[in-house]
Amino acid sequence: MQSTVSYRGSSLGFYYLQKQPEIRMRNYNLNIAGYNIRLESAEDGPELVPSQRFRRNIVHRPDYDVCIRVHHGSLGPGDDAERLFVAPYVVEINGYKITRNDNFWSVYKQNGDLLIITNFPDSPSKKATLKFSLALREWDLYIENAGWETDPMEYPLDGLILYYLTAINADIMIHASGVYYNGRGYLFSGVSGRGKTTMALLWDNIGAQVIHDDRLIIRNAEGMFRMFNTPVYKNDVPRNAPIDRIFLIGHADENSMVPVREASAVSMLVSNCIQHNYSPDMIARFLGSVSMMCSKIPVATLSFKPDRSIIEYILRNE
Amino acid sequence: MTTLKSVYNHSPNIVTKKTGSEYVLIPVANNIADMNSVYTMNESGSFIWELIDGKRNVEEIINTLTEEFDIDHDSAEKDVFSFINDMSNYLIINI
Repeated sequence: MQSTVSYRGSSLGFYYLQKQPEIRMRNYNLNIAGYNIRLESAEDGPELVPSQRFRRNIVHRPDYDVCIRVHHGSLGPGDDAERLFVAPYVVEINGYKITRNDNFWSVYKQNGDLLIITNFPDSPSKKATLKFSLALREWDLYIENAGWETDPMEYPLDGLILYYLTAINADIMIHASGVYYNGRGYLFSGVSGRGKTTMALLWDNIGAQVIHDDRLIIRNAEGMFRMFNTPVYKNDVPRNAPIDRIFLIGHADENSMVPVREASAVSMLVSNCIQHNYSPDMIARFLGSVSMMCSKIPVATLSFKPDRSIIEYILRNE
Repeated sequence: MTTLKSVYNHSPNIVTKKTGSEYVLIPVANNIADMNSVYTMNESGSFIWELIDGKRNVEEIINTLTEEFDIDHDSAEKDVFSFINDMSNYLIINI
C-alpha cells in the first residue's frame, strides 16, 4: 500500500508524518504538558476526530483535569456579559496585513463563567463557544456548522484551552525555546525575532534534546520547575525537562551574560509570557508563579552570536 | 499639587508582588494586565511604597526615610517628592 505523506517544515528540519487514517470517537483523553483533558461528545454532539498532531498525546485513563463536553449548536453572550478581551482577525494578503471586520476570538465574563467565542481560520464557516468556569472541571463546547464530525481542539481553541489550564494551575505559558543537555535544562526566552529558534537549532546540532523552539509551558511540581512542549505549535512527541537556567536573549556581535535578579528578572520575564489575565486575582497568581520561579532558578540576560560559540560560552559559565 | 500634608494611597488598579527587597507592579487596565507597563522598585523605592498607606502624609514618610537610610532631610524630601510625582503620573498612587 502506498502511503501518502505530509510534512510540516520547521527551522529544525522537516518532520515527515505518515498520514494515518482518521479516527472517530465519542470520547478520548489527551495528556498535554501533564494536563489530562477529556473530550466527550454530548448525546447529540458530533463525532470527535482528533487531528494528527494530537495522536501522540492520546492516553487511556479515566481521570481528567478538565472534561470538555462537545455539543452541536451555538451559544452567544447574554445581555449581561462583559467582554474582557478581543483578538483581532488579521490576515495576510499579497504581503499586506489586513484586519477583518469580524473578530478572531473574544473572551466574555458572564455570571461567573467565561465564554470564548471563536472563528476558525482553517474552517471559515465553523464557529464555536467554549463556556467554562475556572473553578469547575466540566466545560461545554458548542460548535456550529461543523458537520457531523469535527476536531474539538482545532486552532485556536487548542492554545486557548491550554492557556486557561495554565491559568487555573498557576502555571506559565511563555515565548521561549528550551533544550536539555548533559542533565541540564536551559530556557531561552524572548519575543519574536530574538533568536529562540536560532538558539534551539544550535543546540540541536550538538545533540541536545530540544523541548521546543518557540513556546513552552512551565509547571511547578513541589518547587521544581519543568518545561513542556505541546502539539499546539508543532507536530512532535511530548517532551519535558527540568529548568536549571533561564536566559533572556537577544542577538549581538559578541557573547555576553549579565545576571538579573529579583524584580528586574520578574519584570523582564513577565513581558515574554503569554497572558490575558482579566482579574487582579489571576494576575497576582501569575505574578507569584513567575516570582517564585525567579527565586529558584538563576536568570540572566544573554546577548549572543548566532554560532556554536554561544554554547561553549554558556557551558563555560555554568 | 503635592504638599507635606498630602496623604496618598495605592491605586486599586495595580497588582504588586514583593520579590526579595524589591517590588514588581503591574497596572490593570480594562480588566487586562498591561504587560507593556510593568514597573519595578528598588529597595528604597519599595520602602517608600510600603509607607504609602492612606494614613501617613508626605512629611511623615520623609522623616521615616531619614531614620532608616543614611540620607539628609533635604535630599530625602527632594527624592520623596520626585518619587511621588512619578508614581502619580503613572497612576500608581492617588490622593
